[in-house]
Amino acid sequence: MASSAVGIAPGSRRRRRRLTWSRVARGSTPYLLIAPVVVVTGAILGYPIYKLVTLSLQRYGLEELIQRKGTWIGLDNFSSVLQDPIFWHTLGRTAVFTIANVGLTMVIGTLLALLLVRVSRFVRILLTAGLVLVWSMPAVVAVQVWYWMTNFHNGVLNHLLTQARVGDFFQHDWYGSPLSQLSMATTLIVWAGIPFVVISVYAGLAQVPGELLEAAAIDGARPWRTFADVTFPILKPVLLILTSLSIIWDFSVFTQPFLLIGRSHIEAANYLMGIYLYTEAYANSDFGRGAAISLLMVLTVAGMSVFYVRQMLRIGDVR
Amino acid sequence: MRRRGRLTSRLAWNAVGLAVTVVLVFPVYWMISTAFKSEDEVNGNPTWLPLHPTLDHFRDAIARPFFWDGIRNSVIVVSVTVALSLVLAFLAAIALAKFRFTGRKLFIVLVIGIQMLPAAGLIIPLYIVLARYGQVNSLTGLIVTYMTFVLPFSVWTLRGFLIGIPKELEEAAMVDGSSRLGAFVRILLPLVAPGLVATSVFAFITAWNEFIFAYVLLNDQSKQTATVWLSYFYGTSRHVDWGGLMAGSTLIAVPVVVFFLLVQRKIAFGLTAGAVKA
Amino acid sequence: MKRRKIASVGVLAAVVAAAASLAGATTAASDANTLTVWLQVDAQTGWADVVAAANRQFESSHPGWNVDVQYQTWGDHLGKFDATLAAGNVPDVIELGNTEMTKYMAAGAFADLTSAKSSFPNSGNWLAGLAASGSFNGKLYGVPYYAGSRVVTYRSDLYKRAGIAKLPTSLAAFIADAKKLAAKSGKRGFSPVYVAGTDWYIAMGFVYDRGGAIARFKNGKWVGALASKQAIAGLTAYKAFFNAASRASRTGDEARPQPYDVYAQGMAASIVGPAWFSCCVGAKYKAATKQFVMPSYIKGKAMPGFLGGSDLAVPGRTNAKQQAIDWIKALTSSTSQRALQAKGNIPNATSLLGNSVNERAAQRSWFIPTAKHWVDVENGNILRTMLARILTGKATIQQAASWASDNISFTLNRP
Repeated sequence: MASSAVGIAPGSRRRRRRLTWSRVARGSTPYLLIAPVVVVTGAILGYPIYKLVTLSLQRYGLEELIQRKGTWIGLDNFSSVLQDPIFWHTLGRTAVFTIANVGLTMVIGTLLALLLVRVSRFVRILLTAGLVLVWSMPAVVAVQVWYWMTNFHNGVLNHLLTQARVGDFFQHDWYGSPLSQLSMATTLIVWAGIPFVVISVYAGLAQVPGELLEAAAIDGARPWRTFADVTFPILKPVLLILTSLSIIWDFSVFTQPFLLIGRSHIEAANYLMGIYLYTEAYANSDFGRGAAISLLMVLTVAGMSVFYVRQMLRIGDVR
Repeated sequence: MRRRGRLTSRLAWNAVGLAVTVVLVFPVYWMISTAFKSEDEVNGNPTWLPLHPTLDHFRDAIARPFFWDGIRNSVIVVSVTVALSLVLAFLAAIALAKFRFTGRKLFIVLVIGIQMLPAAGLIIPLYIVLARYGQVNSLTGLIVTYMTFVLPFSVWTLRGFLIGIPKELEEAAMVDGSSRLGAFVRILLPLVAPGLVATSVFAFITAWNEFIFAYVLLNDQSKQTATVWLSYFYGTSRHVDWGGLMAGSTLIAVPVVVFFLLVQRKIAFGLTAGAVKA
Repeated sequence: MKRRKIASVGVLAAVVAAAASLAGATTAASDANTLTVWLQVDAQTGWADVVAAANRQFESSHPGWNVDVQYQTWGDHLGKFDATLAAGNVPDVIELGNTEMTKYMAAGAFADLTSAKSSFPNSGNWLAGLAASGSFNGKLYGVPYYAGSRVVTYRSDLYKRAGIAKLPTSLAAFIADAKKLAAKSGKRGFSPVYVAGTDWYIAMGFVYDRGGAIARFKNGKWVGALASKQAIAGLTAYKAFFNAASRASRTGDEARPQPYDVYAQGMAASIVGPAWFSCCVGAKYKAATKQFVMPSYIKGKAMPGFLGGSDLAVPGRTNAKQQAIDWIKALTSSTSQRALQAKGNIPNATSLLGNSVNERAAQRSWFIPTAKHWVDVENGNILRTMLARILTGKATIQQAASWASDNISFTLNRP
């Protein structure tokens, strides 16, 4: 990597200049490459992030917002949140929720991507078009459709289950307990999250060189062995990325569970962190508390995803 | 014998694929069929198929004020966001995947850290920033905002796709005697194209369906995006026109599907390119 | 080559960023000559012509000014308002739901309109319930815009079939009629009067009917009043009514399912709710649908109905306070109010009230405690939980009411 220069120029006199110029260029190329991203992100998010940190250390409610001046209270917001048992219960519940959602999404998504490879072109286009349709449904609309399908009055889910003789599900209330409420939210979120995983994993599979797969087949390797030894290592970065992103998104999910469970049925027993942030902070216009909870959420998610992020960094370092 | 085995196995997989499609797409089917149902059927007991299909909801949706403005604004905002973001993110991803430089780890941590911030906390400070730049009620302000959301995961994802390319292919191309740029264009770009496409589809859909920032940042209804236009269906304190909402959502999904159909060939292309001789 | 490509893209990005910052759309909501008004989307779909007329009237009397009406949605308009408050580019006039006003009045978001009160049309006759929502600490911040009450929407054909010759004028008569309807129908799950179990907008009407209240302000503190004798009597009456007349879910709310959907599916003979429910009863029953006023336990009187509605306020930081006041005068003029009335709304003054069912129902109304932290009570679902416990029998009425009352006192008295 060190030897080949970017420009090509003949002549020894030019060579000396070429080396210095190219070394400077080599040194600054990566910085030039990341500069636009840094500039755009910094210009827009720099102040908000700073503000989030400073707000978390102030009492900042609606009055303070209007007067544009808060009162410094140090770590009081944090201690109030950390001493709230509801916070800890919600944190635990959300962690379990996230693991369940991410696990299901990644497993089902990867299986479907493998399926995509094996079907004929027509079915592949049909399935991917279907996935894109699923992906493109706005959250509010998806929640409403979910409600129509699962409500106990005349939901089609109860109808189908009773018809299929799985049991008697006549007017079964799928939203009767926090566990069932969150399970229904899980089905919705996993369903909505699968397309991204499938299409990304499928794109990742496309990078697996065909010859390697053929060589493995010629060697007589069974499909599982081929997957584990050939496909998986190449797929690993993509899977790590998808897992880390899914953890981040599913941890702070708000719209779907909030709307699906319904504002009037939201209570401490079925809080998720995104809902907790909204109801305990923003619904009450307590912006300082909201900032503190947001930062605590960042810490938690960072903790949950550090393993995957580290792996990604390590893979990148091998080069 | 072998070919027959492969044929039946392909048929079996096709059957599974079709079954999966039906199950997955069922809620979408529910949305679309509701859009065709008559008003009484929408609010009555659910039926599998519309008994008296009607185009009324679609007509009403299109007739609603600012429908075409919403579509136009969404197309503009999202296309520019995706195009710019993908270019910038790709460049940054190349830097992360191919170069060692100080500050690399920090940049990665920032990229992934930004995504961990819950959006709810950022709305008001971001609005203040944009107001200071004079970018409230402007499409460029919204584009730049969307870019800050799309860039981090695009960088993160594209870096992963770039890393996933076997180094042997890259080196083999250079042994060939081609310049680095040549190797890049001929070998790497087709291999990373599926990743670019997947990321661009995701960026497209994320930006297309984004609501709260579009609602807060834009004032004129003529500037609002399609998702904000859609929110007027259910944002009323009175009776919600479900049929209209479903019709509106169906219409809004069309550009997304069109975009995907345009780019989906690139993924398939990448699949065969992977088998191309080095 | 690659370097040049990279450099050019980098320059492009920088140019975009620079252009974004230079291309200025103006942010000040009140340009020298533009009055920015935030109304809710109900006006856009329901009475856009009334708004247009008010705009024309304002613009002709204020040459050089034009009105920019921006329609907002109920779910997120307060979040957007918060952002404008923080950045300083507030609208000049904003419509808020009457239950949303108190929090913002207490926080000092609005300009004091007390000195201008007498100049607002019909201000001497404003509906008590609406006017209360626009005042805080004796000062006027919000001008009543329009109101809505609760009525009974019913199937006249079913009532006739059940032998109900005269509409009930007392709660006892209504319960007796409900029993007749149930006997005549025989359908499983059919509600003579569909009321969702935790519909506190209706349930609290029973409490106020008996002279009770949700909370009272005494000696500078809020005191929960649901455990008082009158309130308990009201809750007992509600439970009796629910058991006799409604087959709705005891723990369900009034949005899932919508009462008019239950009605349209033929599973209810009558529903209690806003007057506009009659829009959506389905083609089959539209002809037979009529409305009457929900009766009180006192014969001949109306049960107090929750007075919904909106107020118009002027954010304090506006640059166009006088113009904002003038525009509000245009939208709340007697002409505008009569036009709103024609569209089925209740006008904002008793002197304008007509004789529609909706307006007769507003003769007796109740409103939530005008406390800064009332939204917390609503968000915490305290009333809903209390009603669910009462109706399912999980707690006695006394227990549930005491629990709710203590919780409400605690929440409302938060600093």
